[in-house]
Amino acid sequence: MSEARPLVLLVEDEPEIRRFVRAALEEDGYRTIEATMASQGLSLAASAKPALILLDLGLPDRDGVDFIGDLRSWSTAPVVVLSARSAEAQKIAALDAGADDYVTKPFAVGELLARVRAALRRRPANDNETAVFEFGDVRVDHVRRLVERAQQPVHLTPIEYHLLSFMLTHAGRVMTHRQLLKEIWGPSHVESSHYLRVYVGSLRQKLEVDPTQPRHLLTETGVGYRFQVETADPYKNDNP
Amino acid sequence: MSDVKLGRKQRWVNRASALSYCWAIVACMATTLVATPLLNIFDLANIVMLFLLTVVLIALRLGRGPAVIAAFLSVLLFDIFFVPPRFSLAVNDAQYLVTFAVMLGVALIIGQLTAQLRQEANAALAMEKNTRALYEMTRDLFGAMNGSQVAEIVSQFIRKRLSAPATLLLPDDAGELAALHGAGQPKTIPPPQASIAYQRGEAEIFVAASEPFPLGLCLPLKTSMRVRGILMVQFPEPMNNLAPEHRHLLDTIASLAAIAIERMHYVKVAQEALVNAESERLRNSLLSTLSHDLRTPLTVLVGLADSLTRARPPLPSRHGEAAAAIREQALRMSSLVHNLLDMARLQIGKVTLNKEWQPLQEVIGSSLKCLEAPLAQHRISVRLPPDLPLLQFDAVLIERVLVNLFENAVKYAPGGEIVIDAKHTGDVVEITVADNGQGLPTGAEETIFALFERGQHKTGVGGVGLGLAICRAIVEVHGGRIWATTNPEGGARFAFSLPVGNPPLINQELMEGAQRETS
Repeated sequence: MSEARPLVLLVEDEPEIRRFVRAALEEDGYRTIEATMASQGLSLAASAKPALILLDLGLPDRDGVDFIGDLRSWSTAPVVVLSARSAEAQKIAALDAGADDYVTKPFAVGELLARVRAALRRRPANDNETAVFEFGDVRVDHVRRLVERAQQPVHLTPIEYHLLSFMLTHAGRVMTHRQLLKEIWGPSHVESSHYLRVYVGSLRQKLEVDPTQPRHLLTETGVGYRFQVETADPYKNDNP
Repeated sequence: MSDVKLGRKQRWVNRASALSYCWAIVACMATTLVATPLLNIFDLANIVMLFLLTVVLIALRLGRGPAVIAAFLSVLLFDIFFVPPRFSLAVNDAQYLVTFAVMLGVALIIGQLTAQLRQEANAALAMEKNTRALYEMTRDLFGAMNGSQVAEIVSQFIRKRLSAPATLLLPDDAGELAALHGAGQPKTIPPPQASIAYQRGEAEIFVAASEPFPLGLCLPLKTSMRVRGILMVQFPEPMNNLAPEHRHLLDTIASLAAIAIERMHYVKVAQEALVNAESERLRNSLLSTLSHDLRTPLTVLVGLADSLTRARPPLPSRHGEAAAAIREQALRMSSLVHNLLDMARLQIGKVTLNKEWQPLQEVIGSSLKCLEAPLAQHRISVRLPPDLPLLQFDAVLIERVLVNLFENAVKYAPGGEIVIDAKHTGDVVEITVADNGQGLPTGAEETIFALFERGQHKTGVGGVGLGLAICRAIVEVHGGRIWATTNPEGGARFAFSLPVGNPPLINQELMEGAQRETS
C-alpha cells in the first residue's frame, strides 16, 4: 500500500539537512522527493503533485516567498517553511503569501514531524466544520453559538467569538497578525495590531487556566498566534 | 540688471564734462574754419548741413550737454561768419531768422536723439557686460568644490564690480558663524549683526570700527530650506549712497552664493549616505553570511543527534544519552551563536526595532513558553497588576531579554522560585525578575552587564557573559534602563524599565470585560 503514504516534496539546498529530514520523514511513513533549487521545486510540485511541501526560505536561485506566491496560483498543497531565527519579517511574508506553518532552524525532528502531520491533517477538515469543538475544559457549540467552560457558560463579545471561531477553524496553524486583523476587522485595519492583542488577552482571561501561560491560544512572538488543541508537548508525544 | 558702473561713471562724467564742453566748442570753431574757404563754392544751405553734421557727431561722442552747447554755438557762428553781413550778428534778410530757428531746432532735436541713442547703447553694453560677469561668476560657483572657493569667487566679483571688500560667513560645526576668506583678504571678526541677520534671515547694516570701510551690510544666504550663511560687504562711503542697482546686484550675488553653498551641502549629505549605505551593506552581508554558515552545520548537528535519540529500536541507553547530550550541546552552541550575532547587530546599532503596542503579559507568557523544559523544576509566579498599560516594544527583542533573565535564574538558582512582577511608576513600567538563589557577588551589580563579564567566576556555571550585555543593549535601544540588586532575603533581583509613552486608546468596555474575569 505504498500509494497510501503521502508524498512530501523537500526543497532545500543543504544536502546534510536534506539527508536527516528525508530519513525522519521516511521513518515516519512518508515518501519523499527532493529539489535543491526553487525552479526545480516548482516543476516537481507541478509534475509529482506532492501532498505537502517543505520549503527552505534561503534558496540560492529564488526568494522563497516568491516561490509560495507562484505555487499558490495553481496549488493548494500545504507548505511548511524552514526558516532562520531572527527572520520574523520573512516568516510573516511567507505565511501571508500562503505558507501554512514554519519551523525555525535549528529544529527538533519531532517538532518538524508534528507540524507536517498537523498540516496534512487539517486539510480536509476545512470543508466540514465541526459543530462542537472541545479543548481543555472548554466546549464551543458553533450551532448555538455557546461557549462553556467547566459546564459554566462563558460570555464572549461578538468580536471575541468571531476571533475564537476563526482560530478554531484554523487550529494548529500559525495565523499572522495581518491575517487575523483582516478577517475580524477588515483590510483597512491590518495595522492596528494592539486591538488584536487586547482581544486575545481577554480570550485568554476567559478560557485559559493560567492566562499568563496559555496552553491553547499560543503566541508566536513577532509573527502572530497559533491555536493548539492538544496541550501535549510535541517533543515528547511525536511517535504515534 | 541696470548699470552698476553708473555711479562711478557719473562722477567721472562730472570731472570730464568741462573737457567735453571745450571739445564741443573747439569742434564748432573747426567747422567754421573748414567751412570759410568753401563759402565761395557752396551754397549757404550746405554750410548749415556741415554744422548740423558737427552737432550730430558731438552728440554721438560727447553726449547731450555738449550737443546743446554746440547747437547754439553753431547758429551763432553761422550767423557771424557766414550770413551777410559777415562778422556781425546783424542779418540783412529776415528770412535767415527762419533758417536760424530751423537750424537750432533741428540741431537740438538731432543732438537730443543721438545722445539718447548713445546712452541707450551704452546702457545695453553695460548690462550685457554685467550679465556676462554674473554668468561667469555663476559658472565659477558651480565649479566650486568647497566653501572657501565660493567665498573667493564671490569676494573677487564684488571687489571688481563694486570696489568693496566682501566676506562669506558660514556656520561651523558648532553653528557659530565663521569667516571663510578668499585669498588676500584681511582677517575679520564677524560683527554681532551678522548673527542677527543669520537668525532672522534679513539684511542688517553695521558700523565697522575699521577705516577705510566704515559701513557694512550683512546679507543672509537664503535658500528654500534655511539660511546657509551671511554675505558681509563693507563700503567706503555712507550706506545711503548705495544705489538700488547695487543692492539688487548684491541680493542676486547672495542668492547665487546660497545656492552654491546648498548644493555643496547636499553633495556632502549624498556622499555620506552613500558611504554609510555601502558599509552597512557590507556589514549586513557579512553578518548574514556568517549566521547562515554557522547555522547550517548546527541545524544538521541538532537534526542528526535528534534522529539518533528517536531511532527505532531505541539505542542502548549509553548511546542514547550521548546522542541526547550532543543535541543539548548543539542547541546551546546555537543559542550562543545567535546571541553573538545579535550582540554584533546591536553593537553596530543597525537593529531596526519592530515596535508595537502590546500587553506585557503576552511577552512574559511567550518567554516562559520558550524555556518550558528548563523551567519545569522551578516554582514560577507572575504577579502583574491588572491595570498595566499597553507598552510599545519589539516583542522578539523583549522576549530575548526575559529569556536571558530566566536562563540566568535557572542557572544560578537551580530548582528555586522565580517571581516576575511589574509596576507602573511615573512614566515607566518596571519589570522585575527575582530568584531565591545565591544572589550577586557584592559590588558586581553594575559590572555584570558588561560584555563577557560573568557574575561568579568560581562557581563553574557555564556561560560567557553575553546574556546580560544583550539585555542591556536591547533595553537601552527601547529607551529603558536595566539594573540588578541583591534581595534582602537572598537571591538576585533583575529589573528593567520601559517607557510608557502615549498608549493608543482602547475600547474601555472591552478592557473592563477582560478584567472582570481576572479577579
